[in-house]
Amino acid sequence: MPTHEKILLKNMDQPGYTGSLKDYEAVGGYQALRRVMKELAPADLIDIVKQSGLRGRGGAGFPTGVKWSFIPKDYTGPKYLCCNADESEPGTFKDRQLMERDPHQVLEGIAIACQAIGAETAYIYIRGEFRLGAKILEHAIDEARQARYLGENVLSSGVPIQVYVHAGAGAYICGEETALLESLEGKRGMPRVKPPFPATHGLYQKPTVVNNVETLANLPHIVTRGADWFASIGSPPKSTGTRIFCLSGHVKQPGNYEVPMGITFRELIYEHAGGMRGEKPLKAFIPGGASASFLTEAHLDVKLDFESVAQAGSMLGSGGVTVMEEGTSMVWAALRLMEFFYHESCGKCTPCREGSSWLVQVLQRIVDRRGRMEDLQVLADLCQNIVGRTVCAFGDAEIAPIVGTLQYWRNEYEDLIRESTAISTTSKELPVLALNS
Amino acid sequence: MAESNNQDLVTLTVDGMTTSVPQGTLVIEAARQVGVMIPHFCYHPKLTPDANCRMCLVEIEKLPRLQTSCSTKVAEGMVVKSNVPHVDEARKSVLEFILANHPLDCPVCDQGGRCDLQDFSHQYTPTTSRFTELKRVFPKEYFSPLIETQMNRCVQCMRCVRYCDQVMDVKALAPSGRGTLTEIKHFSAHELDCEFCGGCVQICPVGAITSRLSMYDFRPWMLKRTDTICTYCGDGCHITIQKKQDELIEVNSTQGVGRNNGDLCARGFFGYHASVHPDRIMHPLIKQQDGRFAQATWEEALELVAEKFQGIKTAFGGNAFGGLVTSRCTNEELYLFQKFMRGVLGSNRVDSSARFGHVNGTLPLLSVQGTHRWTATFEDIVDADALLLIGTNITETNPITGLKVKQAVKQGHAILVTMESLLPARGTISNITLLATHHLPVRPDHYHIAIVGLIKSVLDNGLVDPGLETRAPEFFRAIKAAIDSTSWAHIEEVSGVSREVFSQSAHAFSSSTRGMIIVGQGVLRSPRGAEMVTNLLDFLILTGRHGQPGCGLCPLAEENNDQGAIEMGATAEFLPGPIAIGHHDTRQALSKLWEVDLPQEPASSLMEMFRDAQAGQVKAMYIVGENPVESLPQTGKIKEALESLEFLVCQELFLTETAQLADVVLPACSYVEKDGTFTNTEGMVQPVRQAIDPIGESRPDWEIFSALSVVMDQPMEYGEARDIFKEIRSVIPGYGLVGPVATRPTPKVDVVQQYLQEGFAHGLATRYVCTQDQPASDTPFLLASTQSLFHSGKFSTRSKGLLQIQSSGAIMLNPSDAKKLGIASGDSVCVSNAHGAVTTIARVLNRIPPDVACFPEHFDQDIRCLFELHIDKESHVPYSKLTWVRLERVEKGDV
Repeated sequence: MPTHEKILLKNMDQPGYTGSLKDYEAVGGYQALRRVMKELAPADLIDIVKQSGLRGRGGAGFPTGVKWSFIPKDYTGPKYLCCNADESEPGTFKDRQLMERDPHQVLEGIAIACQAIGAETAYIYIRGEFRLGAKILEHAIDEARQARYLGENVLSSGVPIQVYVHAGAGAYICGEETALLESLEGKRGMPRVKPPFPATHGLYQKPTVVNNVETLANLPHIVTRGADWFASIGSPPKSTGTRIFCLSGHVKQPGNYEVPMGITFRELIYEHAGGMRGEKPLKAFIPGGASASFLTEAHLDVKLDFESVAQAGSMLGSGGVTVMEEGTSMVWAALRLMEFFYHESCGKCTPCREGSSWLVQVLQRIVDRRGRMEDLQVLADLCQNIVGRTVCAFGDAEIAPIVGTLQYWRNEYEDLIRESTAISTTSKELPVLALNS
Repeated sequence: MAESNNQDLVTLTVDGMTTSVPQGTLVIEAARQVGVMIPHFCYHPKLTPDANCRMCLVEIEKLPRLQTSCSTKVAEGMVVKSNVPHVDEARKSVLEFILANHPLDCPVCDQGGRCDLQDFSHQYTPTTSRFTELKRVFPKEYFSPLIETQMNRCVQCMRCVRYCDQVMDVKALAPSGRGTLTEIKHFSAHELDCEFCGGCVQICPVGAITSRLSMYDFRPWMLKRTDTICTYCGDGCHITIQKKQDELIEVNSTQGVGRNNGDLCARGFFGYHASVHPDRIMHPLIKQQDGRFAQATWEEALELVAEKFQGIKTAFGGNAFGGLVTSRCTNEELYLFQKFMRGVLGSNRVDSSARFGHVNGTLPLLSVQGTHRWTATFEDIVDADALLLIGTNITETNPITGLKVKQAVKQGHAILVTMESLLPARGTISNITLLATHHLPVRPDHYHIAIVGLIKSVLDNGLVDPGLETRAPEFFRAIKAAIDSTSWAHIEEVSGVSREVFSQSAHAFSSSTRGMIIVGQGVLRSPRGAEMVTNLLDFLILTGRHGQPGCGLCPLAEENNDQGAIEMGATAEFLPGPIAIGHHDTRQALSKLWEVDLPQEPASSLMEMFRDAQAGQVKAMYIVGENPVESLPQTGKIKEALESLEFLVCQELFLTETAQLADVVLPACSYVEKDGTFTNTEGMVQPVRQAIDPIGESRPDWEIFSALSVVMDQPMEYGEARDIFKEIRSVIPGYGLVGPVATRPTPKVDVVQQYLQEGFAHGLATRYVCTQDQPASDTPFLLASTQSLFHSGKFSTRSKGLLQIQSSGAIMLNPSDAKKLGIASGDSVCVSNAHGAVTTIARVLNRIPPDVACFPEHFDQDIRCLFELHIDKESHVPYSKLTWVRLERVEKGDV
């Protein structure tokens, strides 16, 4: 098995590493922040991050340094940094590990980002279910505050950086940055219409940057080891650094694997995750969280970088790789994912709100052997009518499982529909007959 | 072209048509201007774009995907296409999605026939649906006895939620649930508890939220509309009365129309049934020997009145008549009434309900700046950068003016200084003090000393207009001397407000460039009202805001035509104009026009008339739409005065306590049955139009005056109300030249000059003197008779809709006082003082200040007896809104 140097998971892999401030300092923690507070002007810091090629690890992959540079330079009022720790994408669990096992690495990244954009306040918007993570972070914030890495006067520089943990209340959509801001303001978590963008009108209508946990955790290493070092890792020039991929599904060793971008799915699944758990071959995999479209066995040699996966017709997304073996019903898989999206659609935009409930009902019917051949056209049309017509990217995401399965496994739909001779006797629904009958 | 050079204009092309619109315009509005109507549900010009319905998608060249035209701003050279096939397809698909879960209940939906979804469906979608799944079903719910929700019909556009928050500042509604299970709910577990503005009903593009007042009674195409003006307060809102045959069905308003710009309050939206209450008097009534009324014909009644009037005039002269008219009448009627009193009966004893408070605003304005109107408009309130509200929870008294204040604060970030007895506590009705940047909590009897405190802060903190001392040295010195005689210690002790808070408020107001003072009934209807208004004008002069654009002092009118009553000469001190009653040239002109000799006797106002009636000098009275027996306290002995008259004529909608004393009762029409004009609080003259036929044999007031004059052989004949308006125009040139914006007079320079030189001295010896009314130890509570948002005078208590919101009064008191007295909401409480004892129900509210109790004046029939009458020596305004009482809990067994 090829070995790769870990960056983010390196500390926690050491035996006995507890993630306490003492442990973190012992491995050189907070040296980057020292450098940032003493030696680096914010503009230089932003340049370093731009040169490193660091891109957002939340899903969209937007260049972090560029995002920071959208904050108005001459703005004198309050600015905010929000750490997006609402990790809700099905099959994604990397941020959780970073926060629970090495919280100071995240906090140092937050402090560095605050200094870069001139924010004195940062909020960690953490998924409500991450009770443990929130507790650990709050304890780490206390430690860091006492050690003056955070607080009124960070490292005697005169600069205040306050970090607060705010728990979400269980909505997937609050991982979308503007819905996150709404929720943080105490409102119903629904995406905002853009423009204006958070960089100018974010939290409380003030300039705001929203960065993912993993993105922020990379910052101390970039500062310490330099932009060129970071840019040399992975698949330069566009996909630099490592990614933590979350393997789940029918693999032998599910879990988080930090590897440089640019290795192939084959290496990730067969070398690192130990291959398929049973004897059955791989049938399909989701490359980047539930919002990313399915790929098949034919895509195993696609490289794990933003461009290559996009070229293959999906996206690298959040790094959640879910593997399915031969024999998995892809219609059922699509239904399972669609049920998730139906449950999580916030209801703001008509196509997503009504479309998700419509799609899930049609899929359920097909799985229940009550489908019709016309349904396939309806599914395709509805997907077409949702994509690109909503405020946020949720609409584009929710159709991914259906578009993908229709593309590669249309025959499975057709087989199920051919089996649809009788009306299910167990269904509590009203009988739905074929239109032509 | 000129426009292309103008930086503020942006040129774009919509469907091939080029237009120039101001920068920042939304594409949907730009399209509307070239006649391209883009379908939409969630967009509303009053609300911030939410772009949720996705119906208004258009193609914009160079942008990758379809854009929502409701949230996209125009840009130079933008090319918008709304009539291309894929835009059409997108709209069809959005409609297909909306209709998936929408019930097919148009035939029983009150919105059917005027429903956006129905219209767009006809335009875009096929008649069959591909949706063969189960529709999502919500049970029907009622927000209240007045509002029904059918969430199956909801398109989740959130217009109701956004309107309730952004415009009304009430936040009563919110979406609950997620995705397709989202429904609009109110926050509380019990019935909807809000301002009941009806905004959610009106703004709903479909039939999800509907009014229950006329549910299932109509189909929209059966309705005939009449545009008119609301009668429930001085704001003068434009309303559309919808009727089916002669049945009132509903009231609505139109976005962008009227001074209210399409907004209404509970009274305007739900209160329209008062006019058609079954208790309306249907025929003229003549009192018989046995004291009972007998139905009479108009001929009999008018001839009897004419005969009696003639007899009294011959025997005692014109001065034996007294006339009182309600300011709810139209300008034409008020004008004709005073013409009848002065010209036909020959009496100068004419007054109207403007006497109850509005004159306290007008008289000081006239003497200080020579105007009888506001020198500002609603638009100026919205544009103001500082507003000082004194003695008014404006939302309850003048809800639409209140919306302008909310807009100024919420959108324009104006400084809001409130001097109010209510405390800033959340309640079900928006409490304007919650929006205040500076709040001076002042007990209802302490406004005077608080105003002195504010002026003292201006003087002490060097906030005086720099040029004033040289421009008007006498004024400055005299005011300073008058103010200096009251110490800070005294002000702080009495008002309970610290010097620091006064100083902050004074600083805040002085830092503005467009500062306005809005004065409410708490000042106008309380002792020393006119003095307080004069002092506030001094405050404006001292801060240098007086006479500046967008600045001014605005007294709020309580009744819909208080302002018109004064302008029509229906008050003792004024001829039409208003011109002072003794003005020689005007008297001559009127004599010539009316072809009579005007009476020479001194004018006498409301209370003087009653005094003289009791003394036997006034023999007959003509009371139109007023009920002084009921509205003034017993200590005024109004009933005794009226009983001592030889002859009393009442012209009324209902057989009120006063009308019951009358010898003849003439049935009059309400505002929905007649034509005319009302002048609103800001001086806007607006047309009132007849919506339904007169109830029974009732006639418009002006017709009755006219008919009576004919029978009395001194005819004032007019074919229609418009003819009277023409005569008003000949008396007051240019009156009511109706434009989109109220005429905004400016202070008269010579009058202000005169005031600054010597006029200020008038009354200066007393108007800054602070007195203190100490409560007796056995009556520690100050009881205030207050106005409710849901009622207007007693008229609205005949409206079935409003009665469903509020049907009775309760004594409201502060939780700490309630605790001390062992009282909880719903308990029986005995309210008593030397005048009597009344048992009523308690309501404990956080916003009531300590040691104060409030009771709504609309339901004060019983509690009225506790109040005393005071008469202002200068403005002759009768005050009876405050009294001292004792409160005790009544055990259930004692009741």
